[in-house]
Amino acid sequence: MSWKRWSLKRSPWVFHVNTGACNNCDIEVVDCLTPRFDVERFGIKLVGSPRHADALLVTGGVTRQAAPRLIRAYQQAPKPCVVFAIGACACDLGIFHSGYHMVGPVDKIIREVDPNAIIAYVPGCPPKPEAMISGVVQALAAL
Amino acid sequence: MNDQELRGQIETLKDRLTGLEQPSRTRYYLTCEAEHVYAVCRFLFEDVQARFVIATVIDNDDNYEIVYHFAFDELGTVINVQAFLRDRDHPTVASITPFLPGAEWIEREMHDLMGIHFEGHPRLERLILADDWPEGVYPLRKGGAS
Amino acid sequence: MTMNEILHNLFVMLVFPGLLFSVACGLLAVWVMRKVSALIHHRIGPPPAQPLYDVLKLLGKETLIPEAGQKVVFVLAPMLGFAGSLVLATLLWQGNLRPDQPFLGDVIGAVYLMAIPSLALILGGSASASPHAAIGTSREIKLVISYELALVLALIVALIKGVGAGATLPLSLGAMAAQTPVWSVSGMLAFLVSVLCVQAKLGLVPFDVAEAETEIAGGVLIEYAGPLLALWQLMQAVCLVALPLFVVTVFLGGFGPTVVGVLGGIGKLVLVLVLLILIKNTNPRVRIDQAMKFFWFLCGPVLVAAIMLAMIGRAQGIGWL
Repeated sequence: MSWKRWSLKRSPWVFHVNTGACNNCDIEVVDCLTPRFDVERFGIKLVGSPRHADALLVTGGVTRQAAPRLIRAYQQAPKPCVVFAIGACACDLGIFHSGYHMVGPVDKIIREVDPNAIIAYVPGCPPKPEAMISGVVQALAAL
Repeated sequence: MNDQELRGQIETLKDRLTGLEQPSRTRYYLTCEAEHVYAVCRFLFEDVQARFVIATVIDNDDNYEIVYHFAFDELGTVINVQAFLRDRDHPTVASITPFLPGAEWIEREMHDLMGIHFEGHPRLERLILADDWPEGVYPLRKGGAS
Repeated sequence: MTMNEILHNLFVMLVFPGLLFSVACGLLAVWVMRKVSALIHHRIGPPPAQPLYDVLKLLGKETLIPEAGQKVVFVLAPMLGFAGSLVLATLLWQGNLRPDQPFLGDVIGAVYLMAIPSLALILGGSASASPHAAIGTSREIKLVISYELALVLALIVALIKGVGAGATLPLSLGAMAAQTPVWSVSGMLAFLVSVLCVQAKLGLVPFDVAEAETEIAGGVLIEYAGPLLALWQLMQAVCLVALPLFVVTVFLGGFGPTVVGVLGGIGKLVLVLVLLILIKNTNPRVRIDQAMKFFWFLCGPVLVAAIMLAMIGRAQGIGWL
């Protein structure tokens, strides 16, 4: 594989996007980034700007208000970029399935702008940090 | 102020209310019609010096019901004012924001999601729904939105 | 210039102690910082080649340039910063390891060169056309005008202390490296303040207000992506070695000519680096006004007192003042 993919797998920098989550998944994501789980072993680092990101951790089902912002954040992330749909709502809207303000799960919104986007799903409500780490590692291995 | 004095103050409102219940020492339920809401809330806020907590709106099948929750912290008492809006097509009530600035956003939220019109509100705009949400569609009404 | 000289100069600039050596030392120092921080947090931390992976990955991403930004300045700023830091590092290494070489630049030159990375950050942030970058830039400017004076005052203390009569080029790096002003009251004060100035210059906690990650979304560097960000990372890596090296040269006696001296110099460098890491891990981020007050109203008077002590010591012949 090219050296670009190889180095991307060794150093995935993550940016956290909340598109209408109840915050439970956000708490678990932040929990995952604390010293207890030590994701820096894998080179994972939380960055403040989407332009520095290699992976977007998207939580929550996408609300009508958040959809254009999610698209903008995805477009601002330099490619190659992986989108992680964290939690049941991001994967398939979860319990907000027939909510009036939801326009779709994360993959539907992202694929509107980029049909070839790389999306990984980490289900759970919320997913445990161990599940998130396992999901990230598996997704990176499959890249 | 003690419990008796509080009860006495609330009872002076009796002519504006359609009902007054006190199921326990610390709970009051005052029911009234939409046109008296302003006077009742103003009395509770300014004369009784209760604290405004939040307001809730419920869609009963033949009317809308707004419950204003006031707290009297000295005695740990909660005073709920249930106001009934009988006009289902154009539910209107006087806004309490002019004397209670803390109610501004909850009234905007009630307007956004339930379509209640608050007269005298300084800024009755969209608060919660998306910018491109269609006008006139109120999602939390029964038979609400898509 | 003969061919030999040209080749020799190219070797010095590009291999040792120039580009390759400085970058390698810088990436190693970044790893040391992350590993020691991890150990303080009671966790494992990244593998040794992690900073290299980061740089390689950034080189492989697409370059994004903001449409509303000043494109030329935006692209040139990281190159300027990287080049400046490389020249600084080469200058300092040469001055320490080969003090007998002809005049390359003295300590004043080093102070000038040290300003280039900060200036490049300011330029880059201003050219980004983003309100977050504007806030980061204004904070960086305020930080620079705070710690530069303190750094120069600390340098003056070292000059007063150490420069003996009879030195041919008293300001050269070799002459500065020959003495150890830190073993005196004024020298110790100046050394401690200069370590804090280096902390601010490197943008490390508690003085990382300009690039506050979660507060202003990356601040100065918010719009940089891909290879340009890689250049910034490399610049910061090289500075992470060059600036402690400056402190070692001026205060701790630099690198000696012998093998023992070189090992001692490496030890001193690691000591300063560990000091920076410990301060980084035990402090929260300060606000920009707190940082300015700290440098102007605390470090300033302390250094003025140190200068007075140094002058008294020099005039009265008391070495330990």
